[in-house]
Amino acid sequence: MQQWCRRKIAEAMVDEGDGGGSGRKGRRWWKKKIMMEKVRLVSTVGRSKYVTENQGDFAKLISIHRNGDERTPPIMKGEAAVLNPPSLMAFEHKRDAYGFAVRPQHVQRYREYANIYKEEEEERSDRWKDFLERQAESAQLPLNGLSAEENLAGLHAEATEREADASSEKGVGEDDLSVKNCGSDDSTKDALEKEAVPLVLETKIHRAQIWTHIRPSLSAIEAMMSARVKKKMTIAKIEQDAGKGRPLPSFEDARPAKGGSEEDSEEEFYDVERSDLNQDVLSGESMNAPATAAASDVAPPETSFPWKEELECLVQGGVPMALRGELWQAFVGVRARRVDKYYQHLLAQNANTGDTAEDQSSVSDNKSKGSTTESISLPEKWKGQIEKDLPRTFPGHPALDENGRNALRRLLTAYARHNPSVGYCQAMNFFAGLLLLLMPEENAFWALMGILDDYFEGYYSEEMTESQLRVGPALVTTKDAGDAVTLLQALAGSTFDSSQLVLTACMGYQNVNEARLQELRNKHRPTVKAAVEERLKGLRVLRDSHGLASKLYGFKQESGSLMSGTNKTDQMPEKQTIGDMAPADDFCMGLSGDVEIDSVPDLQEQVVWLKVELCKLLEEKRSAVLRAEELETALMEMVKQDNRRQLSAKVEQLERDVAELRQALADKQEQENAMLQVLMRVEQEQRVTEDARRFAEQDAAAQRYAAQVLQEKYEAAAASIAEMEKRVVMAESMLEATLQYQSGQTKAQPSPRYINTPRFVTSKEQSRVLARATDKKD
Amino acid sequence: MATSGNKSINAKLVLLGDVGAGKSSLVLRFVKGQFVEFQESTIGAAFFSQTLAVNDINVKFEIWDTAGQERYHSLAPMYYRGAAAAVIVYDITNQVSFDRAKKWVQELQAQGNSNMVMALAGNKADLVDARKVAAEASDAQTYAQENGLFFAETSAKTATNVNDIFFEIAKRLPRVQPAPSPSGMVLMDRPPDRVASASCCS
Repeated sequence: MQQWCRRKIAEAMVDEGDGGGSGRKGRRWWKKKIMMEKVRLVSTVGRSKYVTENQGDFAKLISIHRNGDERTPPIMKGEAAVLNPPSLMAFEHKRDAYGFAVRPQHVQRYREYANIYKEEEEERSDRWKDFLERQAESAQLPLNGLSAEENLAGLHAEATEREADASSEKGVGEDDLSVKNCGSDDSTKDALEKEAVPLVLETKIHRAQIWTHIRPSLSAIEAMMSARVKKKMTIAKIEQDAGKGRPLPSFEDARPAKGGSEEDSEEEFYDVERSDLNQDVLSGESMNAPATAAASDVAPPETSFPWKEELECLVQGGVPMALRGELWQAFVGVRARRVDKYYQHLLAQNANTGDTAEDQSSVSDNKSKGSTTESISLPEKWKGQIEKDLPRTFPGHPALDENGRNALRRLLTAYARHNPSVGYCQAMNFFAGLLLLLMPEENAFWALMGILDDYFEGYYSEEMTESQLRVGPALVTTKDAGDAVTLLQALAGSTFDSSQLVLTACMGYQNVNEARLQELRNKHRPTVKAAVEERLKGLRVLRDSHGLASKLYGFKQESGSLMSGTNKTDQMPEKQTIGDMAPADDFCMGLSGDVEIDSVPDLQEQVVWLKVELCKLLEEKRSAVLRAEELETALMEMVKQDNRRQLSAKVEQLERDVAELRQALADKQEQENAMLQVLMRVEQEQRVTEDARRFAEQDAAAQRYAAQVLQEKYEAAAASIAEMEKRVVMAESMLEATLQYQSGQTKAQPSPRYINTPRFVTSKEQSRVLARATDKKD
Repeated sequence: MATSGNKSINAKLVLLGDVGAGKSSLVLRFVKGQFVEFQESTIGAAFFSQTLAVNDINVKFEIWDTAGQERYHSLAPMYYRGAAAAVIVYDITNQVSFDRAKKWVQELQAQGNSNMVMALAGNKADLVDARKVAAEASDAQTYAQENGLFFAETSAKTATNVNDIFFEIAKRLPRVQPAPSPSGMVLMDRPPDRVASASCCS
């Protein structure tokens, strides 16, 4: 049980595989066993999932299992460094088939589509199986050709033969599995296998861990692809020859392990029956595959692949998961690129600096050879960056645990050393991580190297000039799914979403292959040509003196038809060059490539001329743009002027209005003035009347005073009158009394004189009384 | 460039800083309120947007989160060109990242928008024990003052000061509206008599 929990790691598979192989109970037994274990695994995982809350914990759990593995003896460890897709059932809907976390917002959709994906994947697998089957049938060598090849291998030192040899060896390796599966193979192979295994156990442990060959059924494809690589690498080829004998012993160990792990993952995700069949087919055809490979190397490669178109269709439809890693390798031409021990050598430099304890085995292995050549003391500035990015590459991915990160570190360091001008660039970590998920370490290194050096040359240079230039178009120029995925990873930067990426890669971007590309080219060529034509026409009108233009124009049409006329196999090799160019240049390059068939230099000259012409056109365009800008500014000015006029009209009207208003205002003011005058007059009058009134009042007061005085006087007079009257009364009475007295006296003294005299006296007396009265009164 | 519409401003904001300084984490915290221990390294640049309301005005940040690796430096001008604000992030546990932050400031002062609002964020403030760049008078604060930057020590992990720094930037953004684009110009046709009357003097 515990053992089977670690099934993700191929080592478990090796153990069990051997058991199954030696038991030789045949395929039925094998199948049953797998089914049983599958059920068990699911239950285990289910439980652990139940216990642990989230993915992080689950990843941790798995890494604990891994660490457990690490404690097992080194030989048992076997394939620990190979990061094959882990047991994928385990992650169901939280992670996709590749172990990438599905974003929460996509979980629902992923769950909905999971079955569809599965069906499609099955369909794909069937188609590929069918294809590989037929390919195997079409190979003409009889089954026993295998042994003949093997014998040949010992004699010939040629690289081509060596390759055939290698695949035949792989065929043997594959047979380990086929033995288990079908049990129909005879004992000679078992003998071979038994020889191979102990050999490995004794010696090449480390190398076996990190390098495997792809399954032989794909070797034909690989041969086709690596033919291109070889064209470039004639020098490397010699090196390969030198290191010829070395990889052989490692095949036997690596091969079954690899095959086992694949089968493993396949089965866990799909039904046992089918994958068994698949495996059968693969093992069956593995005998024929070397023949194909050999034939392809002998014959000119372009013509020897009649199935190329079908392959294109297949790639368009998508690559089944189990084959993906190997197909990528095949397409990149990993085996042709591989220089034996180069990777170890690069890592040995690492060991000299003594910073990773991880590679101790390889250190001891390679120290003697590696240390003498280059003891690097140069500061590796990328080291810190790599360290920083290690935990930031697909964080939480179950395969990228301690071992996975160490592998990733080694891989990135090795590439940085391999190509110091590029060193390490962020985004490579995703490349490398993805490759590591699908293939063993050294395979991943060569694949990475192939992708970066060939397809992305200059892309990650210090200045990143290329990446600035060819971001968009590059995608169209990719040749296969691997490129598209990796390229997408590089480009998608901002919206990078690993789960989405792989889903997309699975579903859509495998469509970008050569056939599709061709189709697109054919589709767009007329418009492009028309555009160029138009340009050229304009140019001719402009510069009639330029006689060459018309000539080239004619040439262009001709070459266009020529291009469409050439068959696809012819275009195959040149596509490599095209692949690096942006579509703008694409046409030109396509021309040069096609034209190589006949007179190269002349046409190339023309191409150069064409480019110059293009530059001129660009120049012209730029000037036209400038002119347009100028015109625009002029227009704007005019528009502004227009506005000004309108404004002035408005201002005038307003002025008129203002004048009117002013007039009215003046009138009003006049009126107001008049009113004011009137008002003033009224006021004055009022003041006058007021004055008059005041005077009158004063007069009145004076009169009143006078009247009062008069009254007083009158009263005084009245009082004095009354007094006088009283006095008069008194005087009268006194006079009366006197008269009476006198009358009395006269009777006594009858002289009138006398009478007069007293009378006189009495008047005197009377005046005295009167004065006394007035005195009294005063 | 900050452009304001009906009480809302769009502001392009760019994050710059050394590799692993925590730019993406800072943005993730600000935009989604999340934090992950191991943020995937940014390739090229990432884009986010977030809206803040400051004094009745909605400030919509268009955030460009750039890749920190030196290699990607040549792509940076694409992102800070025309930016209304920049957040320069360094890691307080890493002196090198602070030096690099200074370089970014220099570059922005030389190349960038002259009235760009710049903020200096000393990230990973939760890792006090591993501190290498002093926050106070000695280093960062002084530098920020000298260069007219708004300075804060942030932590994407604990969310300290993360929203504050963006809020502060939003407040400092110039409210002035740049001239409307010439595409909005309207050509009106008027009756000719008006034109005639306009040309003659009144």
